[in-house]
Amino acid sequence: MQQTYVLTVLTFLPVAGTLALLLLRSDDHVWIRRLALVTAAAEFAISLLLLRGFSVQATGYQFEEFHEWIQQPPIHYHLGVDGLSLFLVLLTTLLTPVSILASWKSIDQRVKGFFISLLVLETGVIGVFVSLDLFLFFMFWEVMLIPMYFLIGIWGHERRIYAALKFVLYTMFGSILMLVAILWLYRVTAAAGYPTFDIAQIQALLSSGTITLPLRTEILLFGAFFLAFAIKVPLFPLHTWLPDAHTEAPTAGSVMLAGVLLKMGTYGMLRFCLPLFPEASRRFAPEIAVLAIIGIVYGALVSMVQVDLKRLVAYSSVSHLGFVVLGIFAFQAVSIQGAVFQMLSHGISTGALFLGVGMLYDRRHTHLIKEFGGLATPMPVIAALYLFTCFASAGLPMLNGFVGEFLILAGTFQKHAAWASWAALGVIFSAVYLLWSYQRVFFGSITQDKNGALPDADMRERGILFLMAVIMLWMGIGSPFFTRRIETSTQNVLQLMRRPQAYDAGEINNHDMNAMDMDQSTMPVNSANSAAPAGAAGSVKSR
Amino acid sequence: MSLPLQDLCRVAPEIVLCAFAMLVMLLAPIVPRARHGILSTISVLGAGIALAATRFPAMYPGAAYSGLFRADAFSLFVHWIVCGAAFLVILGSTSYLQREDLDAGEFCALILLATAGMGIMAGAQELLTAFIGLEMSSIASYILASYKRDAPRSNEAGMKYFLLGSFATAFFLYGIALFFGASGSTRLDMMTPLANDSARTLLKMGLGFIFVGLAFKVAAAPFHLWAPDVYEGAPAPVTALLSTGPKAATFALALRILADVGAASPLWFWALWVAAVLSMFAGNLAALVQTSLKRMLAYSSVAHAGYILVALATAAATDHAEAGIAAALFYLVGYALVQLGAFLIVAQLGGPGERHVEIEDFAGVARRQPAMAACLSLFLLSLLGLPVTVGFLGKFYVFNAALESNLIWLAILLGLNSVIAAYYYLRVIVAMYMLREPEQEIAAEPVPWTLSLVLWIASMGTVYIGLFPARVIGFAAKAALNMR
Amino acid sequence: MTGNDLQSYAPLLLHLTLAMALSGVLVLLSSLVGWRRPSTTKSQPYECGITPTGDAREPFSVKFYLVAMVFILFDVEAIFLYPWAYIFRELRWFGFVEMILYIGILLVGYFYLWKKGALDWNRPAVRRDRAS
Repeated sequence: MQQTYVLTVLTFLPVAGTLALLLLRSDDHVWIRRLALVTAAAEFAISLLLLRGFSVQATGYQFEEFHEWIQQPPIHYHLGVDGLSLFLVLLTTLLTPVSILASWKSIDQRVKGFFISLLVLETGVIGVFVSLDLFLFFMFWEVMLIPMYFLIGIWGHERRIYAALKFVLYTMFGSILMLVAILWLYRVTAAAGYPTFDIAQIQALLSSGTITLPLRTEILLFGAFFLAFAIKVPLFPLHTWLPDAHTEAPTAGSVMLAGVLLKMGTYGMLRFCLPLFPEASRRFAPEIAVLAIIGIVYGALVSMVQVDLKRLVAYSSVSHLGFVVLGIFAFQAVSIQGAVFQMLSHGISTGALFLGVGMLYDRRHTHLIKEFGGLATPMPVIAALYLFTCFASAGLPMLNGFVGEFLILAGTFQKHAAWASWAALGVIFSAVYLLWSYQRVFFGSITQDKNGALPDADMRERGILFLMAVIMLWMGIGSPFFTRRIETSTQNVLQLMRRPQAYDAGEINNHDMNAMDMDQSTMPVNSANSAAPAGAAGSVKSR
Repeated sequence: MSLPLQDLCRVAPEIVLCAFAMLVMLLAPIVPRARHGILSTISVLGAGIALAATRFPAMYPGAAYSGLFRADAFSLFVHWIVCGAAFLVILGSTSYLQREDLDAGEFCALILLATAGMGIMAGAQELLTAFIGLEMSSIASYILASYKRDAPRSNEAGMKYFLLGSFATAFFLYGIALFFGASGSTRLDMMTPLANDSARTLLKMGLGFIFVGLAFKVAAAPFHLWAPDVYEGAPAPVTALLSTGPKAATFALALRILADVGAASPLWFWALWVAAVLSMFAGNLAALVQTSLKRMLAYSSVAHAGYILVALATAAATDHAEAGIAAALFYLVGYALVQLGAFLIVAQLGGPGERHVEIEDFAGVARRQPAMAACLSLFLLSLLGLPVTVGFLGKFYVFNAALESNLIWLAILLGLNSVIAAYYYLRVIVAMYMLREPEQEIAAEPVPWTLSLVLWIASMGTVYIGLFPARVIGFAAKAALNMR
Repeated sequence: MTGNDLQSYAPLLLHLTLAMALSGVLVLLSSLVGWRRPSTTKSQPYECGITPTGDAREPFSVKFYLVAMVFILFDVEAIFLYPWAYIFRELRWFGFVEMILYIGILLVGYFYLWKKGALDWNRPAVRRDRAS
């Protein structure tokens, strides 16, 4: 294997940038901004190398790096990307410079600390996406909390401290259980004589049958991992931290939070829950799907009644991420592809929505919809681009949102027609709340005098929004570019879900599936497990 | 009888510490008060030489003085912790002593003597030797706690510590007596097979009393009630020492008893389990409602004693206790570094007379003293157990050990407590970074270079060990293996 | 020790019980049967036949405590000389050096006390001159 250092550079370049920032005087705002932007832009350029060198056909991880780190217990510095993480890394490296640009003027207090937090956050998030060692993964997962905590807590709005604490406590609660689960998994591998934290190795051990998890253990471990990810996504009913955090965070914080941090949850489900705990995943898929659908519909309905524009966008994330979870737990190649695509697309379009809301906030220092009205007259450019973003987010064909939602619904429909049809409601609702709020903000007559003279977007803002719009269009039209690269990895996830002892039954499962309805989807799990001693008891219980 | 050179080598750190303590006490009345800084310098030097002198026991491992004392990797490791703590505390407190107009001579001499006592505890292989070590460190600590004679708070702290401490000591001594009665020896490694049931009863009682005595010393619930008052009232640098060194030494003694006395593990397991859970909850829940940072840190130190007790419980739970012992040792290193740093920062930021130790007094510290705020945040995050700090790895190893011994519930309770703890640690960070500054300006005192050096060492250590724990945990594991 | 070795303490317990009972009975009896005719002279504290002056409950000077403590310390340390003297010949030079060291340490303490003014009755002992 040819040794590359792209991922290490990519992960730690932002930290290097913060070290450089520390050398600058803290009142030298101009150079601090410039340096941060240069770092983030360089980061993005390097990540494009990743895209260029990425092989479409290759299965498994690419750009792998593997070093010893801690001998006892054996923890490795193992990085790598595949189709699942490639675009998430790119999304992160794209949204960071955009966030920096977006906070160019609006952040004028403690500028240095702000950009340091943002860059450290980038390191944490990229680390989460590229690390292939459970310990390393967990480290980045936790590290990312601190800068986000500061971003919300220092530069946020009125209730920022409450929101920041809530965000951290929720996430920590989930992640501490995940840590226990990670160590438990490690103990299982150690008991079998192959102590490791390496994801690839654990997967190999599991699929070769060297280690087997009793169903009960698997469910508990799955539960711990899933809870951590579900809080992050956030899945209904664990979503209550999200509206607060999003609303109170500064624009850049919201963009990063909605754009990439939420994706860490769904990414975790794809990377860990499904391949490591396939039985438990299958078993709980119906319940999770129901929660996802509730999230989709509930998020959309709550969005409709929001009086606060930012909160509206925040709740729309609950709805959109529900689609992602649904797609993942439909276990169809198409739906999982759609889920990954939807993660990206949501990152771009919701990011753009938050940017737009942030621009309004910069001008009027409020998020309340009733304070606006008729803004299309003073600021036509923002209005046009915001409308474009709304269309993208609502899933208008030719734009990015459509592709993701379509793939998810199409994939899900193949197996679970009922789920898909309920979820489709969300698509309709999203058009309602987005366009209705758009109408109240931008159309009509100018109700407040202050709004009449608001300046339109300057060059910087136009640049940001235009860039986002171009990407939305590209993702809508050029979706094969993305799906081709995602495809191999999604197949791989489904492949890994078939364990040796479950293999035959799994085939039966697929065969029978078409004739069965949703209620009996747990059936095959039991038959799959009948080889194991626990199987008999399990099947009795489920009746 | 020839000079027992090897034995002398095995207690070299203690000899150095005592010699320097005496030197300082000799000089204290002679050197004019204005130049007491030189006494601090000598003491720092003494602690440093003691740290270096651990080379000698490392060269001649084995039992010394007919098995009363033992120099092995384990005692070496604990020596590093206690001598390092003394070094950092003395160095970090020089400016404090000047500011508060306290005598440096006795202060430093007492710290050195207390450290010698802790060293003896770390290496003791016999209960009376351990008792002498315990008393040496305790009596010095009593005086240190009330070192600010003019402050009622400090007096109260010394008094409470003395009363409850002697109570605990009495328990410990009684336990030793019963232990001796049962086993016929106070040597930990010389347990004769028990004669009969009544001897077993005696041993059980003896170990029970010893446990109570030790639990008092580490401030583990339900024997923690003295800790908040003492930690709050004592001068902050003393608190820094009290919450690190004696704890490490006492845990070392407990581990030694666990490792050497086979009967202790099954007896102590549930006691450790219960004490761990109680300490974690008592410490964390009480810390939630504190308004004084010093008191909050005191309660958090009770909680941390609970976390270490989890490691001890795992060591008691299985035959292969190495993971638990290594985890406890590693945790102690990280905890000592961080706790020291935090209390020394409190000592500095508290201002003259330590008047500003309420959490709300820390509002706006990030603006006034960004470096101090950053250091304190780092230490708090390490106490909280977030990655890239040594605190995270400490918790990680404790979790790992707990799961290895199948103590899943203990692990989950530990996890739950870390989340509770997050709230109050973050509250301090909120105050420093996110709250408005108070109306009347608190003057930002310049940070003396000695304290900067200490904080630099502590924070670098926190991050470095947090990233590359291999050597520390490797040595801890070796120490644990060595005990058997 | 054979059997339940706590049993061997039974005579001791018996002794204790008897002693306590006896003394208790004596005190009780004398207070029940005895005559009692209190007078001023009788209820005065006994001070070797000398007429007492003033109240006994006066605060002592803290210097007494200091001297008492110093006395006890050095007195107790001196006790260690006796066992040493007993096996002095067997220990030979080693014992001699050890004892010199020991006394040296005591001397350091003595010197410290002396210089700190703990032995000086008239000077305010171990006080920091804060007022200046």
